[in-house]
Amino acid sequence: MSHLGELNRGPSPGAADPVKALLHRHRDLCLRAVDPLEIAAGLEAHGITDRTAARFRHRDVFSLAEELYARVPRDGDPPHPVPPSAAPFDRAALLLPLLPGAVCAASVTALRHTDGGTRLYAAAAGVLALTLALRAVLRRGPLSTPAHAPRPATAAWTWWLIGYALLGDGLLHLAITGGPDSPPDGTGGGHWPLTTAPVLALALACAPAAWTTHLFSGHARRRLGSSRGLEDFTASVRPVLLGTFALFLLALTALLTTASALLDEPAPLPGTLTLGALLFLARLLMAHGFTHAPKVILTLTAGAQVTALATVFAARLPGCAALSAPVETLTAWHPAAVPSVTCGIAALTLLVHASRRLPRASAHLPPGRAR
Amino acid sequence: MRIGLLTEGGYPYVGGDGWLWCDRLVRGLDRHEFDVYAFSSGEAQEDAGWVPLPGQVRRVRTAPLWATEDDGVVFGRRARRRFREHYGELAAALCAAVAPAAPEADRFTTALHGLAELARDEGGLVSALRSETAVRALERACRAPGAQRAAREARVPDLLAVAAHLERALRPLSLDWYEEDGLGAVDLCHAAAGGAAALPGLLAHHFFGIPFLVTEYGVRLRAHYLTRPDSPPAVRSLLAAFHGRLAAETYRRAAFITPGNTHARRWQERCGADRAKLRTVYPGMDPAPFADAGDSLREADPHTLVWVGRVEPAKDLVSLLHAFAMTRAAEPKSRLRIIGGPSGPEGAAYLGHCRTLAAQLFPDEADGPHTVGDNPVSFEEPGAPGPATSADAHAAGAVTVLSSVVEGFPVGLVEAMLCGRATVSTDVGAVVEAIGGTGLVVPPRNPRALADACVSLLRDPERRTRLGAAARARALELFTVDQNVAAFRGLYLETVAHTPVRHPVLDDTGDPLPFAAPAEARVPGHWTTDPGPRAVPRWAMDTPVPATETAR
Repeated sequence: MSHLGELNRGPSPGAADPVKALLHRHRDLCLRAVDPLEIAAGLEAHGITDRTAARFRHRDVFSLAEELYARVPRDGDPPHPVPPSAAPFDRAALLLPLLPGAVCAASVTALRHTDGGTRLYAAAAGVLALTLALRAVLRRGPLSTPAHAPRPATAAWTWWLIGYALLGDGLLHLAITGGPDSPPDGTGGGHWPLTTAPVLALALACAPAAWTTHLFSGHARRRLGSSRGLEDFTASVRPVLLGTFALFLLALTALLTTASALLDEPAPLPGTLTLGALLFLARLLMAHGFTHAPKVILTLTAGAQVTALATVFAARLPGCAALSAPVETLTAWHPAAVPSVTCGIAALTLLVHASRRLPRASAHLPPGRAR
Repeated sequence: MRIGLLTEGGYPYVGGDGWLWCDRLVRGLDRHEFDVYAFSSGEAQEDAGWVPLPGQVRRVRTAPLWATEDDGVVFGRRARRRFREHYGELAAALCAAVAPAAPEADRFTTALHGLAELARDEGGLVSALRSETAVRALERACRAPGAQRAAREARVPDLLAVAAHLERALRPLSLDWYEEDGLGAVDLCHAAAGGAAALPGLLAHHFFGIPFLVTEYGVRLRAHYLTRPDSPPAVRSLLAAFHGRLAAETYRRAAFITPGNTHARRWQERCGADRAKLRTVYPGMDPAPFADAGDSLREADPHTLVWVGRVEPAKDLVSLLHAFAMTRAAEPKSRLRIIGGPSGPEGAAYLGHCRTLAAQLFPDEADGPHTVGDNPVSFEEPGAPGPATSADAHAAGAVTVLSSVVEGFPVGLVEAMLCGRATVSTDVGAVVEAIGGTGLVVPPRNPRALADACVSLLRDPERRTRLGAAARARALELFTVDQNVAAFRGLYLETVAHTPVRHPVLDDTGDPLPFAAPAEARVPGHWTTDPGPRAVPRWAMDTPVPATETAR
């Protein structure tokens, strides 16, 4: 409405070229316009009507706009500067991923300093708190799924995978040797040991996961602005994706080594690293709207682990002893072979999938709104 | 007759655009059935709920255009190839540097129909429209030889922006409305706006041959030009091409196009609407609240000018105040009442500015040395202290003044006409069209001319009465709900009369039943009920024997 003051002044008397003055007055509009209709719409918004156009010796606003469009020099247009899209930086959302690590550390400490019934309560409270903390992290910030994507039902399988890291290997060895005779006592020793170091490391790794995802998204967004074509963009983002993944693995290794040293437990490096890689890639894909592949892969992985356990128990049935042979062979080769192999294959599949999908420009479309 | 009413962000939601005329139309045509297909414009609107629906509305189906719902439809190889072809055609049609009248229009139509058929076969397009295939097709079309200059400069973010916008604009394609018992079952579609609302009508026409009407009170294409002035040129040119071609296609397929005023009509003609299909149908207003005011012309204070409306800079009250200063120099007894609240913060600031100006221009005046003074210009909010209705507001003065510099269809002016008031208005928007010769019209931003016109009317009560009566007669003839509804009723019947019966009725074995749907099935009301004993003329009863059997 700031242009109301220049309305309908019309040509100054005696001016040889009345349109020139109008062109000067609406120069921005005419330079910016991509077709004459845009100029016509703009002129009308500034209050110019057909009767005003008649004063410029035109039949209507459209023909006046056509003249203006034709008369604007369009050769030396400076290229439209692409404003760098400012990444939404939410400090709280970047600090929030520290929460699961803190909760998990507190729970592990509580488990170590309690016994009997109290330990059971402490374990239950720890699991509950960890669930809530993880939900908070996954709802907000870099790891959250875009609003329009369907929410995949992967929580159950994710919990199974983490549960297996905590208890699974112990159960598998007991099952092979004829157990278990009693529930786990919640310590690292005993007949059914709890391996808390991997879980603690994974909980702590939420923070590097969120930060590296944020780094990747920000980098991709910057590349979007500077790329000339889609191929160019894909070629420049793929190394960034691999770098991000390597950075996360490095951080996870460091965290696991530290956690194992603090808890005086052996560091089950292959199993934890593959599981961490799997969960990180699944979340990275989901955060960019690709929910189908992570869901399938997580389900298959957990299914494979369930099957491995089931075959060992099924081998106790008469005549089915041969069922447990593959798992026993694997376990004899390496005690943590089952989780390492299942998660490793799954993580590799997802890595290939992610390196094809995430460097595409369509993965970085502005998210739609949810209902 | 069964009418599919297509709306966007309006009826049946409370307070949407143009819900009032849709409501009056549906209530006015109670002998027809209505199926309402509505797009909501936002979450707030969905929460606000619906207006009470009359019995003739048989069904309401809604869809949000603002929310993306990933349908999770995964295309097979063949569907992917079809999508790539059609979307590529669409993108090529948008990038081509030729006017929309050229073969590009056909290309656009073919691509649109191809995508619609694909969506119908596969169950949805949302994922595909957001996929890499779509973005790549856009890039290829932009880099192709013969593309517009602006499109050739498109960068990756521009391509993504265009893809996202096209996904939103093509969302109506993915809906499940195009079934035999959905839009296939109506006799006629009536789109209450152009653009997205007309798209289902276009597709129903394509799939089932259902004729459709488009009503536009404001041209959608024009609104699109004004909505994103800051986008890069590539985005604007591609989206302008899309909306331009969609509008052209809509106008080409529509049975009738009904602009709400000449301004909309000119834009439609410009975008390729055939003049033979254009019927201007003015918005209708309910004359009942203004009937009393129209009859009580004597009660008005003969020295009072009234301005009624929402206060905003485009109304140019400053010019009005200057004009009033000149009027008052000629007619010292005259007063000005400005009735209306501010619209938005900008309007509030402008109102404050106008109050200050009025205080500076006109000192308070009193009748004698012992009475309290008063300003000849009063600012009143409608409601508690001021006049309760807009009829009361217009009735308060002898002359209604309109001083806008930008105006669409001047509803306030028509209200004044219905009240039988003489008017002085500026020559903007559809003012001249509405007022005809029944009021004084002056150029905008010309306080001197405005003042002269006001003075001439204030001094001549007889002319005032004559003009007011003429204005009232004109408004009652052209701008009432009845004429609006009658115009649409006529258009519906005319449209359906041109359309052959399309619904084949099948018998038990699946064979078509000929003559199962007679032409009378479209007559409003129950045509099969017995109307009672017929009046037979006496001459017909007096001659029971046929005259000559052999003559036949």
